Amino acid sequence: MLQKKITTVPPDRKSGLNTIICCAGLIILLFLAPLFLGSYHIFLATLTLMHIILTSSLRIIYISGQLSLGHAAFMGIGAYISAILALNMGWTPWITIPLGGLAAMITAGIIGFSFSRLRTIYFSMASLFLGVMITKLVGVFPKLTGDMTGLMSIPGLNEVTIFSLLQINFAASRIPYYYYFLILSLLTLLILYRVEHSRIGLTLKAVAQSHLAASSIGINERAVRILALAIGCFFAGIAGASYAHYVTFISPSTFGLMPSIYLIVYLIVGGTGNFVGPIVGTTVLYLIPHLMSELKGFAPFVLGGVLILSVFLLPQGMVSLLDRITLWLNKIKLLLNQLKLWSNQAKLHNKSKLPISKINKKEVS
Amino acid sequence: MLLKTTALTKHFGGLAAVSQFDMFINKGEIVGLIGPNGAGKTTIINLISGFLKSSSGNIIFDEEDITSKPAHIMARMGIGRTFQITPMFFEFSTFKNIVASHYLAAESCFWGAIFNTSKYRNKEEHIVKLAEETLEFVGLSKARNELAKNLPHGYQKLLDLARALAIKPKLLLLDEPIGGISSDEINLVLKAIDKVRSQGTTILLVEHNMEVVMSICDRIIVANYGQKIAEGTPDEVRRDKDVISAYFGGEYHA
Repeated sequence: MLQKKITTVPPDRKSGLNTIICCAGLIILLFLAPLFLGSYHIFLATLTLMHIILTSSLRIIYISGQLSLGHAAFMGIGAYISAILALNMGWTPWITIPLGGLAAMITAGIIGFSFSRLRTIYFSMASLFLGVMITKLVGVFPKLTGDMTGLMSIPGLNEVTIFSLLQINFAASRIPYYYYFLILSLLTLLILYRVEHSRIGLTLKAVAQSHLAASSIGINERAVRILALAIGCFFAGIAGASYAHYVTFISPSTFGLMPSIYLIVYLIVGGTGNFVGPIVGTTVLYLIPHLMSELKGFAPFVLGGVLILSVFLLPQGMVSLLDRITLWLNKIKLLLNQLKLWSNQAKLHNKSKLPISKINKKEVS
Repeated sequence: MLLKTTALTKHFGGLAAVSQFDMFINKGEIVGLIGPNGAGKTTIINLISGFLKSSSGNIIFDEEDITSKPAHIMARMGIGRTFQITPMFFEFSTFKNIVASHYLAAESCFWGAIFNTSKYRNKEEHIVKLAEETLEFVGLSKARNELAKNLPHGYQKLLDLARALAIKPKLLLLDEPIGGISSDEINLVLKAIDKVRSQGTTILLVEHNMEVVMSICDRIIVANYGQKIAEGTPDEVRRDKDVISAYFGGEYHA
């Protein structure tokens, strides 16, 4: 009953000026953040932004009815391709990062094509295998990839000059990277939002709900699912490549199974049904273990607990918390009104000394 | 001739669900396909609409060989279908279901959608208009904002029909459109089918309700155990000995 009420709330209820003002305020706040945050917090914020890109791109794959358990692997492909090109060929990261994204997208396309006969849980199982395999693949070319120890001293982003007015030096401090990731994530979110709320998004959701109905109206169901995978993995690749040039060190464990599962936890706890879900989920769940240093070793346990609790208590994710609260407030209001009614009735009863049943009848009539 | 199958055969393992099935449908005709349970009616529909690949035989549609083409290609060529067990986009509202069904009419453009170009928006408006018409046409205006999963079964059948109509089919395959719904809802669906018929759409109707089949169809094909056993006008079929024995059992004549 409760759940049904929430699902029938139209999603564009809050659309309009309010949302735009909120978004603008938040973005301005994010742009001003380096003014009052320390370097460690800036570092955390940068990585949070990167994870928001990852989780949101995972969600695009999710809404097409596929839960990928190897999303971090595609991030790894982007990171490794970009790092190897920058290290061995000496290309600037500004070129290798998009190439990393493209590499992840092409890999996703190839894998998507071969997996596209598998739906739902079978796809998840295949992607699980992929997530495990890709970290092992690093060992096949040990000279190129640095094997299990990973790649070190990856060049950072080059200096950029915008119209000879603004010179951004990425070597001097970490703050330009924060802005880089902020702009990148805003762009990514903008594109993903357009994808989801356009005809493409509707097709993705349609395929997820019924592949029979979708193909009966001429939607090439396999192609649509491959497209979703390709879009999602492109942004994962871009995020991974940017990450490589930010931390200048990558190792296979960063892109293994656990990071992929963390991304899924962020997504599910945040709420899969809403565009804001992965953003909220990532922000809260990524920051909690890092901000509470005493928690550090127990982070996986905490995340597991949060996941279980949210599946039981908030199946629609953290985003639905707001709806829940308004629902409860309404209930409390109703209850208060009822109490008022009762007390009025009692007063009336005291005055007239009539049996309460008669007053009730009067009220009704 | 709009559709012609020659020696259409489908094996499921050792079982021949459809074997050596020859049939044709002329333009503008309403053909009924009847037969006892397990006669292979739904399999034939699945073969024609591309949801199953035939083991052998040919399907010719609009003078083109469409044998074993995938379902979405068949839909684009103009074969619309409804389902016995209605699949739909359950989390969408009725209207959104129909809007989604119309996307075939508008060519999808990836970059147009992302950059929200004026061309894309015009198309979108056009689709909404078309969807509005279809909604009106099948008589679902009342249930416009209801989620598809909350619709009564008869309305789901109507929505299924609306989805099939959205692709502007040349040939409409109806798989038990009034199976398992109440008599009020049957009237609603029949009214919608009647409207489709008056537009001149060719229909292949699979249905167990003999009264309806006999009254609507120009021609009836009877199948049993995957084979065609009779074909003709409703009156001819009604009197056919093979048909009577298939439905009521052979040998024992009253």
